[in-house]
Amino acid sequence: MKYGPLITPLILYMILISIRYINPQLSQLTSYIAFYVALGQAFNIFLGLTGYVDFGYVAFMALGMYGMALTTVNIHNILVGVIDQHLRIYLLVIMGTLLGISFAVILASIVGSIALRLRGAYFAIATIGVNEGFRYLIEGSGMWRGSEGIIIAKDLIELYGYEGMTYISTEVADLMLITIGIIAMLITYVIITSKMGYALAALRDDEDTAKIFGINTTKYKVFAFIISAALAGMLGAAKMLKDQAVFPPQAFSIMYTVEAIVVVILGGIGTVIGPLIGGVLYSLLKYYLTVIIPGIQLLLLAPILIIVILAFPSGIVGFIKKVFKSNRVKRLVI
Amino acid sequence: MMFPINQELLLFNIVSGIMLGTLYGLATMGLSLIFGVIKVVNVSHGALIMLGAYTAYWLYTLYLIPPFISLGTAFLIGLALGFSIFHGIIKNVLGKPEMISLVATFGLAILFEETAKFLWGPDFRGYTWEIGRIEFMSFTIPLTRILASVSSLIIAISIYIFLYKTKMGMAIRGVTQEPEGAALCGINVIGIYSISVTLAIALTVASGVLITLFVPAGIEPYMGGPYTLRAFVIAVLGGLASPIGAFVAGLIFGLAETLSYGFLSLLPISSAFAMTRFVAFSLLLILLLIRPEGLFRR
Repeated sequence: MKYGPLITPLILYMILISIRYINPQLSQLTSYIAFYVALGQAFNIFLGLTGYVDFGYVAFMALGMYGMALTTVNIHNILVGVIDQHLRIYLLVIMGTLLGISFAVILASIVGSIALRLRGAYFAIATIGVNEGFRYLIEGSGMWRGSEGIIIAKDLIELYGYEGMTYISTEVADLMLITIGIIAMLITYVIITSKMGYALAALRDDEDTAKIFGINTTKYKVFAFIISAALAGMLGAAKMLKDQAVFPPQAFSIMYTVEAIVVVILGGIGTVIGPLIGGVLYSLLKYYLTVIIPGIQLLLLAPILIIVILAFPSGIVGFIKKVFKSNRVKRLVI
Repeated sequence: MMFPINQELLLFNIVSGIMLGTLYGLATMGLSLIFGVIKVVNVSHGALIMLGAYTAYWLYTLYLIPPFISLGTAFLIGLALGFSIFHGIIKNVLGKPEMISLVATFGLAILFEETAKFLWGPDFRGYTWEIGRIEFMSFTIPLTRILASVSSLIIAISIYIFLYKTKMGMAIRGVTQEPEGAALCGINVIGIYSISVTLAIALTVASGVLITLFVPAGIEPYMGGPYTLRAFVIAVLGGLASPIGAFVAGLIFGLAETLSYGFLSLLPISSAFAMTRFVAFSLLLILLLIRPEGLFRR
């Protein structure tokens, strides 16, 4: 069965969507879950498939947020002329997302073609440099309103009314988050089962050997990097509609990258279903820890993070594969 | 366009840049030592500096112990901490993909920061330890800062002597260059790993004590983040694997940071402080691309 591995994750996504629509009271929780799942799925395409650690991954999400914020602020006057409410919402969402993706792809192309020549720790440090450099460029030069940040709640209310704004920040944003997760998962599946998947696996195990065998490693890793960044840009655009405000220190916080890494590793790095499982578990854990013991959830998550990375580096999917020795399970869970 | 360049101000900036630089250098040596020996980037570096800063703060505010004595205490705390970190965590990530060690040390950083926040609260704290000032042209420099940079220099020189003139230091450098060759020469490689990581962490915690003399009111749980990032820049500048290179690079960086801040604050930009950071990270990227082996490696 060619598409077997997609059945379980798609069922899980269906369950998530059904919970969202059957019980709207849980929408806060479901969108929380959807965000971390999408973050993990998107980051997995680069981190999981190439094995490179990009600590600056959050920069692409921040650019997506800025893309949406700048669109909202700047096309305000054009949108006022459009009568139909739905058309107005679609226009904003599509244009903002496209701008966010473009920002992310441009930065990813530059960083990818330059910094991906570095490896291991050097690459990780370079990406931190890009992330922090960009943050301080915005704060220091005052571009994009500098350290004041951009708040779009007022613009959204003016454009769509209070109800429209709520609709955008819940229904539209949630739908976007879930869609991004599914798209990222499908892309992961297509890559893994294609020639590129084998090339990336070879690259991840031993880049020099892969090169000697004639694999154009640079091409594949830059490609994975750009796709992953584009999805992060999209995710940022959705997050902007949810948060309705963007400030450089929060938007470029390395914490998001670390959370993405945790989600990916917890579920199973480089697998199709892994980030989905990891995202659900991590977000549930974080959500309830925040509710039960507010303020010290990070204090509890830190040891969990250390234990998981030391004891289960191949994650839950790796664990499942180890327990169920039958080939059918192995074929279904990739 | 001419800027009103004040010669005295320039000279003062150079002096304070060098003073700050000795401290930056000292605060980076630990990172370079760990990377050199075990090829692990210690992301919890800044959090260790934060622990040192709190040590100085509490010993001074509770028992009036001056920071130069708490330097020793912090070093001892660092030794204990370093030993447990090595045997509890770092020993298990040796030889595994970078991702494992990066995430594990990041987890450690969050653990330290959140513990500090849980115990001592998120507020900024500070103390002032006055022992006099000296006149420098039309400026005054606190004596504590001069003492801090002199002690940084002394510690750095001791590390140099340790690494280059003692048998143990030679073993550490041997392991840095070629662990297998060192093992063939009868060196206990794991033992050297343990000693270097412990020493490096002790050094880092101790440098946190001296840093409090430069940032009198900036002690808080998350103060380490900027130091981690700055240490990355400096370590790359110094070749990433050489503690002595890191110290010299720290001097250069301190000077460059002070001077560029002085220069940028003359320009009409919205935040000279943030722009200085931007310059630092641009420098890092350019350097990684043209000379990833550092400034001093031939």
